[in-house]
Amino acid sequence: MTIAIKPTASGSTIEQNGSTILTVDGSGNIAIANDLSVTGSSPLPSGPAFSAYMSSSQSLTTITLTKVQFNTEDFDTDNCFDTSTYRFTPNVAGYYQVNGILTLIGTSGTAWVMYLYKNGSVIQNIGNQRSSGGEGGPSGSALVYMNGTTDYLEMYTLVVATSPSIYAASSVFNKFQAHLVRAA
Amino acid sequence: MTLYEKITTLYTELTDADFMPDSGTIMLQNDSDGKGDYIREWNHPTLAKPTQEQLDGVQ
Repeated sequence: MTIAIKPTASGSTIEQNGSTILTVDGSGNIAIANDLSVTGSSPLPSGPAFSAYMSSSQSLTTITLTKVQFNTEDFDTDNCFDTSTYRFTPNVAGYYQVNGILTLIGTSGTAWVMYLYKNGSVIQNIGNQRSSGGEGGPSGSALVYMNGTTDYLEMYTLVVATSPSIYAASSVFNKFQAHLVRAA
Repeated sequence: MTLYEKITTLYTELTDADFMPDSGTIMLQNDSDGKGDYIREWNHPTLAKPTQEQLDGVQ
């Protein structure tokens, strides 16, 4: 095997057996041609991540904020989501990307809304569909700081319709997901 | 009869807009803990928060 470090017009390259495996440009940016493996601490986030859904439909009352009963997990890397209280309480402090989608049904509906709660209070309207009809599908995301000990997240919904409910014929209709994107 | 229906029966002047979290002054909530619907916030400028007796009396 041969390794060569070669200067270029604006930087340099490292070649292995005649093929470039690493390039450094004039600004110091590094481009790696093949897979990168890290021995020791990885610079990539490895904190909590979960995805949950509903195994059955949930009846609602019109114009009443109701906690969504996400009672089944796709995955939960650090056991931070509780399928009985429907709460996500991450054990690592930092900034979390949160995703949600709901499939809501009812008669003569006019508003289908999804709210993200932190520690029991609304912090963001993350899905707001104000359309008339019998079905709504609010979806959205948020970026939230969590302290890694006591902070928790929940998803609530509010529907303005007659006999509203959350439709959950399978795992694809409703999701509550979050993962660490940057440690504190 | 739901809590929303009882309140709107007591106060017929209320509209859906009064109950919307983004714009209203009344917030009804259900925490999916088996305790049912309750009045989380009541900040209506003229109408008093109904008592439990008033709500129980609505048919």
